[in-house]
Amino acid sequence: MQQSEHLRIGVRSILAHKLRSLLTTLGIIFGVAAVVSMLSIADGARREAVEQIRLLGTNNIRINHVELTGDLKELADAKGSSGLTHSDGSVLMRNLPNLTGVAPLRFVDEPVLFGNREATGRVVGTTADYSRVTDFKAARGRFISPLDVREGKRVAVIGAAAKAELFGYRNPIGRKIRIGDAWFTVVGLMESKTIREARASVIQLRDINTDIYTPITAVNSRFPAPDRKGGVSEIAVQVSDANQVETTSGIVKRILTRAHNGIEDFEIVVPAELLAQAQSTQRVFNVVMGAIAGISLLVGGIGIMNIMLTTVTERTKEIGVRRALGATEDSIMRQFLVETVLISVAGGLAGIVVGAVMARAINVFAGWETVISMYSATIAFGISGLVGVLFGLYPARRAAQMDPITALRFE
Amino acid sequence: MLIEVQDITKTYIMGDSEVHALRGVSLGVEHGEYVAVMGPSGSGKSTLMHLIGCLDRPSTGHYTLDGTPVEDLDDVALSALRNRKISFVFQSFNLISQLSVAENVEVPLIYRGTPREEREQLAAQKLASVGLAHRRNHRPNELSGGECQRVAIARALVSDPDIVLADEPTGNLDTKTGEEVMAILAELNDSGTTIVMVTHDIVKAKHAKRLVQMSDGKIDRQLVGEEKDRIINQFEAMTAVPAA
Ligand SMILES: Nc1ncnc2c1ncn2[C@@H]1O[C@H](COP(=O)(O)OP(=O)(O)O)[C@@H](O)[C@H]1O
Ligand SMILES: [Mg+2]
Repeated sequence: MQQSEHLRIGVRSILAHKLRSLLTTLGIIFGVAAVVSMLSIADGARREAVEQIRLLGTNNIRINHVELTGDLKELADAKGSSGLTHSDGSVLMRNLPNLTGVAPLRFVDEPVLFGNREATGRVVGTTADYSRVTDFKAARGRFISPLDVREGKRVAVIGAAAKAELFGYRNPIGRKIRIGDAWFTVVGLMESKTIREARASVIQLRDINTDIYTPITAVNSRFPAPDRKGGVSEIAVQVSDANQVETTSGIVKRILTRAHNGIEDFEIVVPAELLAQAQSTQRVFNVVMGAIAGISLLVGGIGIMNIMLTTVTERTKEIGVRRALGATEDSIMRQFLVETVLISVAGGLAGIVVGAVMARAINVFAGWETVISMYSATIAFGISGLVGVLFGLYPARRAAQMDPITALRFE
Repeated sequence: MLIEVQDITKTYIMGDSEVHALRGVSLGVEHGEYVAVMGPSGSGKSTLMHLIGCLDRPSTGHYTLDGTPVEDLDDVALSALRNRKISFVFQSFNLISQLSVAENVEVPLIYRGTPREEREQLAAQKLASVGLAHRRNHRPNELSGGECQRVAIARALVSDPDIVLADEPTGNLDTKTGEEVMAILAELNDSGTTIVMVTHDIVKAKHAKRLVQMSDGKIDRQLVGEEKDRIINQFEAMTAVPAA
């Protein structure tokens, strides 16, 4: 009952001093804007990481080839390590019973042609497990089979985009395409996978819709790797239980290091850890923005407190009159608290708008993914309300504890 | 007895000096009485009014309002008394400048929790009774002094108080508007409301049934009935001669 009156009086008092109220809320506006844009960047990074995890698989471990240089390369040559190989996958499969699939990936830089049409994607030599490990299936025809791999058959399964490039609307199944100087028969067409463009990521995501998959054995025999025997760029490993991914990645590392004679010419990426990594790369930014937000909110809060102290002094007489008419200390306190919260929440709302604009600008100019969520807007709104309460408390108490007589005699 | 003030003192500490605003005042006021308090400036009249109005607490002494000892009450209880039993009319009107005339009249009802519609209705009624219904939506600064004081009286009456405390209600008004205000108060008293009024003008005390004279924080004498009328008439005669 009284509260709605306090609101009305508060709104009126703020509107009575429009410019003053606006200047007062600038700190809150920028503080909240900083919070909103910071959260939007963090949310964007998280969404990107989650997207990557979704594409790479939560149960998966990625082993990436690492190109060694200088002394390390000489050492590797001396020790006879030839980088990641197809057989690394077999070693892992043999030694780790909790693996449900191992798919080595070898990228081959050869032109892919159908008639005079050329595909822009890469040729990927892999095994039958790839489809299961990456949860990426053939929409038509079939994926590479274990038999294809064992016998090194020259078959190809093409991505949806690659199909469009090579065949347009025609059915590709059963047709022969030329990879380098060899002919491969198309046996399958992959489902189309939506991929959001990823930036600032730990793993380079390629558009897998342009991929052309062939048995790794077939590409190894037709296109031997020039300088290293293996030529495998990546191995995707699937673990049966998501909880075992981390421990398994440690074991994988030990097994491969031993298989490579102590040379670490690979790195292991656990997609589930990408989130943490993405967050850690954002940390510096968060600290800076957090500091800006904190300082702005503090300055904004002090500004509001200052203006409210002025308001309380200006309205001393009113306070005395209200007390004489039956207002309790509590009621006076609430009246001024409501007014302070109102100012700072109004600033907060403006800050959310400014923050959203800033997030959009960051997205456009810096190319960072940003997401404005209901949740971050709520947090920002809550913060502005909290600032209002915190910094309004002192002026409101001053008003409430004013001696009614002194207030009435005030001129 | 509605108001029972017993041997009250009030001392203000100003820096390191003490101001004895009241030095032992005892006063009883019955239901429905009309008491005028007179005395030179600084004699403690306003202080006494504030104490009676539960806006302040005595330094020593007892105050019983309608049977309730006021000393023991907390802020909430005192505020409730001010809100329901007592209304103030001030010399300087003390309207809230941000509020419209009608809203000013509604203020006491807000602290009582009266629903809005009822509030507006009561306020309109009281404004009409002081002849200011047409000024409802004006701001106080758009009104004359006399109109302001009538709004203040409407505000005092809207809460239907037992006691109206008027501290020099005509002090800022010219003679004619002052008389209008006095007439409203007299009418109010006729309908049963207890009135304690401070005035520096003895003629204004004509309507009162009792005259309390104060000086230097004490009550010098109290006049009632014929004695009171005689003093007032004497005074009127004295002031009337040079004017004629
Ligand atoms: N809040 C106060 N603080 C200090 N001194 C006060 C206060 N209120 C009143 N006084 C002093 O108490 C004395 C009585 O004041 P007051 O009751 O206002 O007198 P009156 O209304 O009769 O003119 C004066 O000397 C005045 O200065
Ligand atoms: Mg006075």
